[in-house]
This record gives sequence, structure tokens and C-alpha cells, in this order.
Amino acid sequence: MADAAIFDVAVIGGGVVGAAVARGLLGAGLSACILDEGDIAHRASRGNFALVWVQSKGLGMARYGAWTRASSDAWAAFAADLEAETGIDVAHRRPGGFNLCLSEQELETRRGALVRMHNQPGWIPYDWEVLDRAALAREFPDLGPEVVGGLFCPLDGHVNSLRLFRALHASFKAGGGAYRPEWPVTRIAPLSAGGFRIETPRGVVEAGKVVLAAGIANARLAPMVGLAAPVRPQRGQILVTEKAAPFLHYPIVTLRQTDEGSVMMGDSAEEAGLDERIGLGVLSVMAERAVRMFPRIAALNVVRTWAALRVMSQDGFPIYDQSEAAPGAFIATCHSGVTLAAAHGRLLAPMIARGALDADLAPFSARRFDVPQTA
Amino acid sequence: MRRLTDVGALREAYDLVIVGAGPAGMAAAVEAAGQDRAVLVLDENPGPGGQIYRAIGTAPLRDPRVLGAAYWEGAALADAFAAAEVDYLPGATVWHLDDALEIGVSAGARSAVLPARRVILATGALERPMPLRGWTLPGVMSVGAGQALLKAQGIAPTGRVVLAGCGPLLWLYAAQCIAAGAAPSLILETTPRANWRGALRHLPAFLATPYARKGLALMARVRRHLRVVPHVAALAIDAEDGALRVTWAEGTAFTADHVLLHQGVVPTLNLARAAGCAIAWDEGNACFAPVTDAWGTASLPGIAVAGDGAGIAGAEAAALRGRLTALEALRALGVLDEAGRDARAAPHRAALARWSRGRAFLDALYRPAPHFCAAPPDAMACRCEEVTGAALRDAARMGATGPNQLKAFLRCGMGPCQGRMCGPTITETIAQERGIHPREVGYMRLRTPAKPITLGEFAALRKTEADRRAVERR
Repeated sequence: MADAAIFDVAVIGGGVVGAAVARGLLGAGLSACILDEGDIAHRASRGNFALVWVQSKGLGMARYGAWTRASSDAWAAFAADLEAETGIDVAHRRPGGFNLCLSEQELETRRGALVRMHNQPGWIPYDWEVLDRAALAREFPDLGPEVVGGLFCPLDGHVNSLRLFRALHASFKAGGGAYRPEWPVTRIAPLSAGGFRIETPRGVVEAGKVVLAAGIANARLAPMVGLAAPVRPQRGQILVTEKAAPFLHYPIVTLRQTDEGSVMMGDSAEEAGLDERIGLGVLSVMAERAVRMFPRIAALNVVRTWAALRVMSQDGFPIYDQSEAAPGAFIATCHSGVTLAAAHGRLLAPMIARGALDADLAPFSARRFDVPQTA
Repeated sequence: MRRLTDVGALREAYDLVIVGAGPAGMAAAVEAAGQDRAVLVLDENPGPGGQIYRAIGTAPLRDPRVLGAAYWEGAALADAFAAAEVDYLPGATVWHLDDALEIGVSAGARSAVLPARRVILATGALERPMPLRGWTLPGVMSVGAGQALLKAQGIAPTGRVVLAGCGPLLWLYAAQCIAAGAAPSLILETTPRANWRGALRHLPAFLATPYARKGLALMARVRRHLRVVPHVAALAIDAEDGALRVTWAEGTAFTADHVLLHQGVVPTLNLARAAGCAIAWDEGNACFAPVTDAWGTASLPGIAVAGDGAGIAGAEAAALRGRLTALEALRALGVLDEAGRDARAAPHRAALARWSRGRAFLDALYRPAPHFCAAPPDAMACRCEEVTGAALRDAARMGATGPNQLKAFLRCGMGPCQGRMCGPTITETIAQERGIHPREVGYMRLRTPAKPITLGEFAALRKTEADRRAVERR
């Protein structure tokens, strides 16, 4: 086997999280490689819904609300940088986003959750509002008769997530990064002199730092460097229609029209292990709710459905940590990799480059899951 | 046969569902009928026949010499199918199949999902794409599409017509057009000269077959009526003053009104793949095909693939393979024991061996040149999403090593055709760009719906309380 290639940092995982962090590390002046799996893998980045979403994030951890908000605020500049570097327009839009409710009970449940979220200690407030049917009808001329009301937050937006994925990789490559697909990591060994030796069936890499951004696989990799990533897969399903003339000018948390015209639906959550099969019943519920919101879309052809696996921690919040046992080993794992891409690239990556996470990321440490021993 | 008109007339469940009413599907139905088992045939055409016997009962060209004897031989099978005790729903789109043998079918803008105990996929073949520069221009179509027009509507192209590519269908179609009084102007034959080396050792077996003499006579007839340029190694089409300029060698071009392309057929993989059946590279046919055993049984229990959908072998072989899958289904359904199945299968197996002779020669001779299978930079590769060969190659260099990562990078294969028009092209283009075999590249994952249905139809499907909880989080 040839001598190991040596990098300042090796990022494990080439999805949106890994690519955003790796690109940020290049930007901080480090030499970086991404080690990725191949054509067939559990790839949350290929299955996501492409919202840059704020309004429902943070009940149970105020810091997550602020982190999400910070990413959302950084997104416009992040997208502009990407376009300047790669020529790829990731179609970031931030017109504000809606959550439409089909019953008074739904509206009350969701309104109540937002009130509780905004009343948390340490919450940094931002605007949101409850809209009645009449107010919604002014924004959505095609609104279905069963929509009773909804929630609106001006911070919400969306992107073209596949173009984001490609732009991140194009930028990483243009910046001199080494992308190694089909290099699935089998072993990470901390070296006595510092740094890490990372083994794959295709070859070995040595790096001063290592960032675990491998989604579900972080659960397997983290213990190799003294970290913990108690994450599990949670299945989400999506329907996509043929392209249609623009009619929906705002993202809705369960329904959006892409810049290319397709209508996407998807907000299911199932505990199904690694099973990535679709279920017609769940898809039908999503289709039915979408048609009740906008009856005109019933005539559109569905061209594609899929299921993908969200990366869920026990409380649903991200995990960011540096290993105490093996300093230089970092982990970044979350389920909203698109929303958080700007924070990962512009905020998290510089911390990793400096060698320490900021103190205000402490709430995201996996140590929060350690249950104190009782006598 | 009980002809149904809509999904409301379907039974709640069937013992055997056959998808496709071409030679394999019709023969499977005939073999499985009359055994006190509920058999359903679903087909997307308005009448039985599939591609090869398209419009067999309704073809406007009544002169049997135009479409030829091989076409009209389908009438006997269609008659037997009409007499078989099976349910038959034409105009039906099968858009879903899964490993629980649930079948999603749409007809007349309504969908039903019904369970089967056994499924036979007899969805046949489609033409291998030929992604040249200009193959998406108006006036360019596939030979198969041209032949469908000839069979169903009696329409042949007029004016200056070029046929380009390789394979038996190209020659058959030329002969049919000549018989219809619309001789094409020119055939640009792309069979590589080197193919003869591999084909020659199979020539004696081919010459002993019934179709060798017929085929050679047909080619001689075609050559008498039009010019044939052999061993064409480069080909591109450009729009020019309302016509099509076809260039095949430096400085050699012909101006045409219509160009029809063809380079053989490949199995339709969509339903088998969406269900999760394993596929493997078939070196003889130079394409991916579902993995099947001697009874056509696929890798998922209860699903079989019959006919060209399991690997290209022609109409007569398709019918025999349809019968074999039906006999195995009857065994699985408790109608036949193994000995009974094998006894009924014996004559079909013998006939299949006869019809398979000579196939190796055709496969070796008409194996398409790899450079006509990969998209050049200036050709459209994915027509739905308008992804060029250049974009595919750039993404492959950027690290999208296979078709599934390419979808994420470029959306290729994610449009309404569900990869039918681009799947082989994407695999071949990555293989060429990376310098590896298409087998190593693999094939794109295919999804439900195998063909588009409306959101309204999706919304009307049956749902459980658990389905609602997964979305509404109550």
C-alpha cells in the first residue's frame, strides 16, 4: 500500500454537513480531504426537503433556536459566496414561511408549541404570527376551503438542495480539497504524536484533525476517538410532482414549489430502523393533506417518491463535540443539514480550524445524554 | 377473457397478476387460465399484443405482406388469450410493486392497490438510447416509435428518410416501409466491423435457424431498394434550414426530413427495480437485466420476470418463457406439483432451446459500439432534466462515481420518464469517463411511481391510523 496521504484535516462524510464543514476548513487555510462512501449509501443529503427553516426549531433547547436563527441569517451571504465561486445558483429564497393547519385543533396545538418555545429562558425573540383564514387567503389565492389558519415566520426560506450539494462539492474541489468517494472509513486511530490515522479499504489517510460528519455512521465511528453519537435513523418520505407554472411563492413546512417548478411534499416521521422503503399509506396522507391545502395540485402528476433517513439524536438536537481523550477529533451531526449549512461553513468550521469549539456550543455536547448515576 | 373497463371492476385480490399483454404476458395467461385460480392481466395498451404484435386485432394495414408473417403469427396467441379465463384490464398503468406483492394500478384516472400471491412481470423491452448530438431534434425518433406508428396507424415517414444504427429491427422496419410503398433513402449501419470476429463462431448455429434465411432475404430486399453505408463509426445530426443534416464521416453528410435511430433493445427494469429485485449485468446483451432462475423467478419471493424483460431473446422465446413462469406460478399456487410442472414445461423448454439457437450470433454481431452508448459532451443525455453528456462527465470527474450520486448532482434520471430514456446512457457515460466497465458503475435506483400518476390518485389511496400518525404527529 502506498504511503498515507497527509492532510491538516480529514472530514468523514461527503453529505451536506461534511461538505459544508470541509469547505469552511479550506477557507480557514487548512488542507482538507473528504472521505465518503460510494454510490449506494444511507444518504440523508440526497433525500432532504430543502427548507431553511426557523419557526419550529428550539422547543427544549433555546440555544438550538439561536443557532438555527444564526444559520438562517448567514444563509444569504453563504449562497452568494457559493455562486461567486462556482457559478451555481442554489436558489436561496427567504420570503418567510408558513405552517398551514387543517383544523382548529391543529392550529391550537402548533400555536401552543410556539408560545412555549418563545417563553423559554434564554430565548432570543423573533417575529412570528398566527394568521386566520382570511389573511392566508390574501397570500394564497388558491387556498383550499379546509385551511382554517396558519403560522408565519419571516425568517423561513428554502433552497435548491441538490444544487447546494453540487455547489459545495464544486467549491471544495476548486479550493484544492481532495474528495475521495468510495473510501468508507473502517478505523480511526489516534496517533501518539497527535493526529489520526484513518483506514479505508482503498487506502490510508493521516490528518492532524478529524471531523466526523458521517450521519448515521457517526454512531459507529465516534467511539473510535472517544466520542459518543447516540443517533438513530428516522424515516421521512417525500413526493415530488412534475414541474408546474409557479403558483406557490412561499415555502410551507410540508409543501414547497422548487425554483424549477416541481411541488414537493414531505413531513412524515417513522421509526423504521434502516428500512428505506416507501409506504403508500403515508404518502397518501401527505398527498391528501397537500390537496386539501391547494386543491388545484390534485391534477399534477407525481413523478417520484422516496424515503430517506433523518439523523436523529435522542432529543432531536445536533451534537457538536471535541474529544477529550483524543483532542483534534470533532463530531458534527444533525438532521437539518441544509438549514444549518451556513452555520456549519461559516461558524463551526472556523472553530474546528482554531482547535476549540466556542463555549456557547457546550449545550450541544453529547454529554447532555449522560444520565447521572444514582446511589 | 373477461375484459374490464376500470379499476372498480377488479377483484379485491388475485392469485396471479401478470403485468403486460405482449407475447410473454399473453402466453403466461393462457397457460395459467382455467385452473380455478384468479388471474389478472394488466396492460397499458388499449389492446393485447405488446410492442411486437401491437394492434394485432385492429391494425389498419390489412395487407399481410407489409408487416410480414412474423407479425401476423401473433394473431393465434391473441386469439388464445381472448379465449382464456382471465381478467384483463387494458389501458392500465401499473405504477407500484413492492416486496409484499402489493400492486398499484391506475386506469381512467383512478388508482387501486391490490395484493397478489404471485406476480409475473412481462413488461418487455425498450429501445436502447442512442445519444448522439442532435438525437433530440424535431424530426428524429426511434425506429421502434416509427414501427409503432406503422402498426397502429398505418403511417410511414415520407420525404428523405435516414435509418441509422444497428440490429434486426432496423432492417425489419426498412423492409416494412418498402412494402408500404415508402422506402427510406439511406441506412447508416453502425455495426462495428470488429463485431464479426466475435460473431463468426456463432454463425453455423445461426444459419441452421429458421430466421437466418428469412433475415438474409429481408436484408437483400432492403439493399435492392436503398443505399446502405456499412461500419459507420461516427454520427451526428444538426438542424439546418428546416431539415436535418446527418454527418457520419468527415465531410460526408446527407440532408434528411426524418432520422430514425435504433441500436437494439434492453429489458424494461422499472417495476422490478422499484420492487427491489436484484439486477445484474448481462454481457451477451450488453445491458443490466433482472436476476432470474430457469423459471423466470426473480430475487424477491413471488415475483417472476418473463420475456424480453428478463433478457432479450425475441418474441417466440418470450411466449415460451411466459409459459414457464406461469407453470411455476401454478406450482406455487398449489395447482401443480413439481413433476406436473416439469412435465408440462418439457415441450416448452425444448422449443425454447430451438428458438434460442442463433441468438448468440445476433447478440455478438449487433452489440452496439460503446461510443454510441455513452453521451458525447454535446449530446443531451437526460431529456427530462436536460442534462448533457458534458455535465455528466464533469460531475463524474468531480466525484459522483455512480448514477445515484449523479442524480443528486444533476437530477438526471429524476424526470417523468423515470430513467427509461437515460438509464443506460448514464451508466455507459460514467463508465467511459472513468475508464471502467458498466458493470462496476451499476444502475440507478428506480422508484415508485414506475410511471406517473396524479397527486389526486395518490391522495385517494387507502390509509391506516398509523399512516396518519406518521404525518400528523397527533
